[in-house]
Amino acid sequence: MNGMSSEDGSLVDRRPIITCSGEIDVFSTIENNLSEALPQEACEWRRSLGRPIRSVHIGATFAPYSAAGLPKGNQWDLIRQPLFHIYWTECSDVDVYKSSVKEDIETWLKELSSREIPDWLIVVVENFDGKRANKLLPRTTVLDKIRADFAPKQGDRCISVINPGKSESRSADSWRGLVSRIRHLLLVAYARAVSRLEDHVRQQRERRNDPGWDFMRYFHLQEELAQVLEMLGLYDEALVQYDELDVLFSQFVANGVSSNSAAWLSNFQKPLDRWHGLKLGQSHLAKSPSILELRAYLFAKQAHMLLLLNKVWEMASRCLPFLHTCTREMSILEVSSPEGALACWLFLAAMEVLQTCDKFNHADEAEDFSFHTAGLWEYASQKLRCLGELCGLLPGGTPTSEQLHIVVLLSSGMGDNPGPPNHPSPTDKLKEALCSQDVFNKTYLELTELSMCTYKHTGRLRSARLVGRQASSFYLLLGETQKAAAFLGDALRNFEADGWRELVAQAHIELAECYRRAGDPAKLVVEAARVAGASEVDTLERWSYFEEMRKCIESLQEPVVIPFGDIIKIMNVSVKNDGPIMQDTIIEVELVIDSNFPREFVCSNLMMSLEPEPTTEKEKVSEKYCLGRTLTSKDMKTQDPRLQRLKMKKILDYKQDKQLAMAGVSSKFTVLKRKDSVPPQIHRDFSNCLEVNKLPLVITPGLNTIRLKKKADSIGKYFIGQVAVHIKKLHLISLPLSPRLLVEIKEEGPTLKLYKTAAPLLSGIEQTMNLILTIGSYSVESRSIIKLTTSPGLAVQVERDNPLVNSLEIEVGPNFPFSSIRRHLRIMADMLSKDHQVTIHCPWSAKPIVVNLTFTPPLAATWKLQTVELRKFVQVTVVGQCEKDLIAEDAVLSVAGETCDIVARNCESSQIIPNGLSYSYMWEIVFKRQLGADLPTLKVEFSVKYKLDDKDDDNKLFRYFFDINDYQTLYILDTNVTPLKGNEFCRAGAVCHLHLTISPAAEHLPVTQSVMYEVLAENGVWAVCGRTAGVVTFGDGAEERAGEVTLDVMPLCGGYLPTPLVRVSRYIHGEAGTTGKNTGCHRGCGLSVE
Amino acid sequence: MAVCVAIIGKDNAPKFFACANPEEELNFQYKVLSSLDIVEEKLNPTVKTSTADLRELYLGMLYSLETHKIYGYVTNTKIKIIIIVDSTNTSLRDNEIKSMFKKIHSEYADVVCNPFYIPGEPITSKSFAMNIKSIMLQA
Repeated sequence: MNGMSSEDGSLVDRRPIITCSGEIDVFSTIENNLSEALPQEACEWRRSLGRPIRSVHIGATFAPYSAAGLPKGNQWDLIRQPLFHIYWTECSDVDVYKSSVKEDIETWLKELSSREIPDWLIVVVENFDGKRANKLLPRTTVLDKIRADFAPKQGDRCISVINPGKSESRSADSWRGLVSRIRHLLLVAYARAVSRLEDHVRQQRERRNDPGWDFMRYFHLQEELAQVLEMLGLYDEALVQYDELDVLFSQFVANGVSSNSAAWLSNFQKPLDRWHGLKLGQSHLAKSPSILELRAYLFAKQAHMLLLLNKVWEMASRCLPFLHTCTREMSILEVSSPEGALACWLFLAAMEVLQTCDKFNHADEAEDFSFHTAGLWEYASQKLRCLGELCGLLPGGTPTSEQLHIVVLLSSGMGDNPGPPNHPSPTDKLKEALCSQDVFNKTYLELTELSMCTYKHTGRLRSARLVGRQASSFYLLLGETQKAAAFLGDALRNFEADGWRELVAQAHIELAECYRRAGDPAKLVVEAARVAGASEVDTLERWSYFEEMRKCIESLQEPVVIPFGDIIKIMNVSVKNDGPIMQDTIIEVELVIDSNFPREFVCSNLMMSLEPEPTTEKEKVSEKYCLGRTLTSKDMKTQDPRLQRLKMKKILDYKQDKQLAMAGVSSKFTVLKRKDSVPPQIHRDFSNCLEVNKLPLVITPGLNTIRLKKKADSIGKYFIGQVAVHIKKLHLISLPLSPRLLVEIKEEGPTLKLYKTAAPLLSGIEQTMNLILTIGSYSVESRSIIKLTTSPGLAVQVERDNPLVNSLEIEVGPNFPFSSIRRHLRIMADMLSKDHQVTIHCPWSAKPIVVNLTFTPPLAATWKLQTVELRKFVQVTVVGQCEKDLIAEDAVLSVAGETCDIVARNCESSQIIPNGLSYSYMWEIVFKRQLGADLPTLKVEFSVKYKLDDKDDDNKLFRYFFDINDYQTLYILDTNVTPLKGNEFCRAGAVCHLHLTISPAAEHLPVTQSVMYEVLAENGVWAVCGRTAGVVTFGDGAEERAGEVTLDVMPLCGGYLPTPLVRVSRYIHGEAGTTGKNTGCHRGCGLSVE
Repeated sequence: MAVCVAIIGKDNAPKFFACANPEEELNFQYKVLSSLDIVEEKLNPTVKTSTADLRELYLGMLYSLETHKIYGYVTNTKIKIIIIVDSTNTSLRDNEIKSMFKKIHSEYADVVCNPFYIPGEPITSKSFAMNIKSIMLQA
């Protein structure tokens, strides 16, 4: 790029003109070199008005000098005039110079200064031959002379150069000097010219509202400036000029129509007769352009600048607004054009820009492009479709002759613009598309496809879906309902994801249309139901779709399942059972649904599934649970995690010295879960479900309350899963309810209990116990057997007449849940045994039930040996323990062996022994011989017959065994209380004597030497004064055989008092040394005190 | 004057929609929906094209159609306000659009302050609709 727009030769050459005078031959040898060298290097361009310094490349054209062609100093269009003037001379001889050249230069310079042209240069070309080396005197060269003569103060206006034609290394330097000098001076001149042009442009613009001002004239003027800037390589500034023109024109169009000030606008209001496509690259502006041509030219220029600036994407981004502007201005200016002409032009323009983008597209910028091209693709496809409609090219139609005529007209207006082979130009493409329906279809679909792809590529999914919607309507016309449905389905999902309900409803309407065309009742019914249930749609329309749905249902072969969506909303679910649900009871659930159908409908079935509790822990954790028994619509609302409140927490960070270093807030992000791309599985298992009793059911629009019931037949935890509403073969199914509502079904097993009556169990008597079987929530097999096993000595029976047995089997018999069966269990324990067990084996439980029973005998007996001196009596006392009175008779006491006789002292009659009362029997034991030292133990058996009542003949025998030991009388104690001497009576509070005489009972008995006595005075009656105990030692002599002791006692109260009790016991002397051991043979024998 | 005003929640679902001509509402809905693509682009700092100052709520013109221009505004809580203007209406300058957005924003703030309004629900307040209509018409 050398700044000369050389690639585009047809463009106006805006290079400055340099005139040459003097020795033209010299110049002509270096002209080519010079014009090549000038633009090669950049040069700084300083400008007025504080504009930034730009480095520019400047070229030049050379022309021979002619005084007539010189411009005047105040001309504005200096740009087009010779700008810079060079005088060339080869003269090296001072004399020659003085004689001719000097004069020539003088006239040349005079001419220039007379026109106030300060831009000139005198070049002395030297043919270097080494002479200079001998030069001794200064100011003797021709250059020096010229400098002294013409430019004493402007040394830079004269320059010498070594002829580059013969150059070697040395000449290169001087050549470079010349080129840069020319460049610099030329730029100074050019800058002045440019600023003059700028001033002029500004001036002209100021006058834009004057009558007679013409936009096109001004346009060319400012374009000249743009071209100058372009030539200098300042493409951005050139672009600014074009942009200014653009804006200016827009303003005129916007304001001019109303203000009427711009008469020239009427030039642009001519009817449109050609709509040649926009051409980027080289472009010409026609003589009197139409508005489209002007616009196209302007845009082409802008695009050209942008391309030079390598901003291809900006060109793409400017395209759409440009096209919009054109359409708008066309309508503002009321330019009449054949129908479709504008669309043609817009399509061509869009396609041209797209093609150019494609050409300049680099892989790394593809994304930047796509942002702008996607919209263009879409625009082009829209325009093509408009044209298709106009020309009757849309599928399903055939162009009428009128429409064919339009095609011909439009094609001719486009002109010819053939592209290279294999690369048809937009015009070629459009013409082809307008001629054939097939090509039209293909082109249109290609464009939409490209548009969609590009949108998707840039992440503008919504836009892509909307284009897809367009494509689907086209496919529908083509009759390709499947493709149409696919595009619509994508769009629908997108609308749903964003929550645009009206658009969703609209998409459903379109889908319904699609399936109606396809003749697919199964899918149509779904869409019709959706539309009928969409509150956004007009009611009348909903009615018609509702009717359509009803019709479709009739023709359904297979059931069609659709989710509830907006059609039916579950408002409330509540379990109506109180407390736990027992097995085999009825589960009752109340369901409130909100039907969005516009009319009532007959629901052929309504179910609510029960799902077993998930088994895996993971599933359990991921679900939310409802704590109560009622689920309201509020509970069921799903929470968008992104909309949840952030959990903010303050953070205070302290330094070591407890000063606050930082304060802030932090938020713990709620876990962001990826949204499942696959919607949750819709149809679940309805094999276990709650149902409505009365079917069919009429569901009215709005709220409906429905009761569902189910017998709870199996136990466990269940969740209410989904609700299904069937309208014949159309099955509406809800999403699984969340949070989960729990229904727990419990069972109660049968229980068996053995109850005794209130009274204690008595051994030896048959009694009745109650065996109660309580059936729980389920009945028990009637032939199952309950087995009772008893411990030895216990027998049971349930049958009245059968004998009592140790092991008993009972059949359960017919039974019903929550009933109980009572069996009377006859039970009898052996006499004398006390603790028993009954082990019950139940068929429903592996673990036997063990019942511990304690029996008590009906009578309790105690015995006591009574002594009167040497005579012995046995007293047996029986106590009744039976609830009822016992009738006892024939009490017998017998002693084993022949040692003694028993003499009864009892009455012969029977006795009634009530509960708790005692009765005593008495027998005397008469020993047959004198008792010796060795006393045999008496084994005594007491027996008495008893019966429970008079009528009972079955007397039972009560026996009581006991042994009698130590029954011999050893000592006879005699106590006597006498008053003190002088007192007649014993008085309370007066000391008396207690005379105690202990004497052995019989001589032959082995007598213990020492006997200890203790007075056990009853407190409050007697007080013993002095000692209360002592030891009596018996001697061998007869007088010593009785121990007599006198003690002092004092009666404490008056009356007939029993003498104080004295207890004697064998005494063992301490000195025996082994006292402790001998105590084991103490034989204390209580003797009564007289 | 604006022909359409839409308020879009941060979940991208429409919360309020007003059109000068109610019959065109569906059409405008499609336009507003596709403009969300561009709003998202502008809000996404990773995309190169979003060079705008993030503190500036006004997003400028999102895109233009033959007949309409679509402008966007995003509050700090990512509530998007979209205004559609007829493109023949050249009298509307950027500043006027901006002030329109500010007014709508303050109206929206008033609605959200209402304790009976649940944030995130569509706005059904009649007075709000009236105020928005008047903002649409007066500019």
